[in-house]
Amino acid sequence: MSNYAAEPTTLADASVSATSRLLQVSGLTKSFDNSSTPIFSDVSFSIFASQSVALIGSNGAGKSTLLRCCLRLIEPDAGSIVLDGETIDKKSGRHLSKARNKVGFVFQKHCLVPRLSALSNVLHGNLAYSQGPRNWLQGLAKQEARERAMDCLKQVGLAHLANKRCDQLSGGQSQRVAVARALMQQPSILFADEPTASLDPQSAQEIMELFNGLVKNQGLTLFFVSHNIEHALKYADRVLGLQERKLSLDSATHTQSLQSLRAFYG
Amino acid sequence: MDKQKENSLMNNAINGQATLDTPMRFERPSILTQVLFALFVLFFLWSTSNAGLSISELLSGLPNMATIGGEMIPPATDRAWPMANAILVTFQMALVGTVIGIALSIPIAILAARNASPHPIVRHVTRSVVSFFRTVPDLAWALFFVASVGLGPFAGTLTIIVDTIGFCARFFAESMEEVDPGPSEALASIGANPIDRIAVVLIPGAMPSFINISLFSLEKAVRSSVVLGLVGAGGIGAELAVSMEMFRYDQAAMIVLMIFVLVFAVEQFSSSTRNRLLRQSK
Repeated sequence: MSNYAAEPTTLADASVSATSRLLQVSGLTKSFDNSSTPIFSDVSFSIFASQSVALIGSNGAGKSTLLRCCLRLIEPDAGSIVLDGETIDKKSGRHLSKARNKVGFVFQKHCLVPRLSALSNVLHGNLAYSQGPRNWLQGLAKQEARERAMDCLKQVGLAHLANKRCDQLSGGQSQRVAVARALMQQPSILFADEPTASLDPQSAQEIMELFNGLVKNQGLTLFFVSHNIEHALKYADRVLGLQERKLSLDSATHTQSLQSLRAFYG
Repeated sequence: MDKQKENSLMNNAINGQATLDTPMRFERPSILTQVLFALFVLFFLWSTSNAGLSISELLSGLPNMATIGGEMIPPATDRAWPMANAILVTFQMALVGTVIGIALSIPIAILAARNASPHPIVRHVTRSVVSFFRTVPDLAWALFFVASVGLGPFAGTLTIIVDTIGFCARFFAESMEEVDPGPSEALASIGANPIDRIAVVLIPGAMPSFINISLFSLEKAVRSSVVLGLVGAGGIGAELAVSMEMFRYDQAAMIVLMIFVLVFAVEQFSSSTRNRLLRQSK
């Protein structure tokens, strides 16, 4: 498996400096239940601004755990994480929350509050920066925040469903609302954990196109986990592969093929 | 199970070479289960004698029941207005006690819920206090409050507040614990603080249960507020006790009818309100 230096390689990326390194992970190791065998060990990689990076690997390889460890939603056993120039290894409480503000997160299951409207759910993205009842419900929000939330819904093509309860939306629509919530947060980098896994092929395609548009047109940085290697090849600039507890692939997507990536699911 | 073993079992299954036996239809209970069941049966038989079950006494009591039943018909209407007033006070005690109890139950439930409490010690202490409120019978609370604040509806209202906290705080906490943790994790991942997560995820997520529990609590409070009057804590119970003591079974029948109408009306109201509120969008 060809290893690839984590630096950007395209012409446009040539000017990328260390300051555009949005996420730097070094020697990350995690095991569960005091098991002597780690789920992954000594994982190191970097993600640069405006890159789209896919993380692939078979079930149980530790992809979702790795993604969560990068934000310390799951505590890693060892390793160092630098998020947008800030080391978050030792941070806790409010300081850790503040560091997480910069990262949007889209989950496999959209993780919206089902009984609230799409607009209220999008508004919750604001909780990253400002606490309190003003961001709990759209009816209590400041006009400026409501307008920004509507803009985010427009970006994902759901402005017409702003007042609809999320438990009345389809899977694809719900995932779009989750993306809008992440956009509301104005993140430096967007994490997505198998964002299309629970969607039909058409909706999955739409969500990936949406991500692609955000990366290409707005310069958003995307780090997504996927089992769909076609998506990884089509929508990512780089692909990382977890296999046998190691990060055994870190490569520019154009150097990879369906065949080479299928090896991760053998 | 490691991947190789799993693959080998899968291949065997595909090739029709699976060797696992079909499990038994019913598993034989363990010795411990059998012993516990035998102990339960023995204890139950002993309990039936201590509970005073007696067919002969039941048969000899039947004529008395018929006599009292006969005297109850027709129900007396001579004291209908004071009784109606007492039933109104009974309902008001239940309503005020329940609303205040519910309002106090929400913060208590937050302290008692595993996914909302600031610290395990706070959770255990809060749960213990709520358990104490719930396990002490409402009549005992009524006697305590009558002795503390005197006869009348205030003692009854205090009893209902404590009873409602014991009931609602426990079930509110449990319904918050059952809320899907996904949205809360999503907000934690972006740095939202715990208070926001409780307000935005747990309370709306548990709201259907909150409404159900609150309405059941109101029904329960109406039923128990009827009995509280028997120990002097206000309401229609005092009227019922006086009628029975003075052998005015016709008046007692009227009171029982009024209680039935009140409880039935509250149950109907609570059922329709529950359906309407749960249908409404937020």
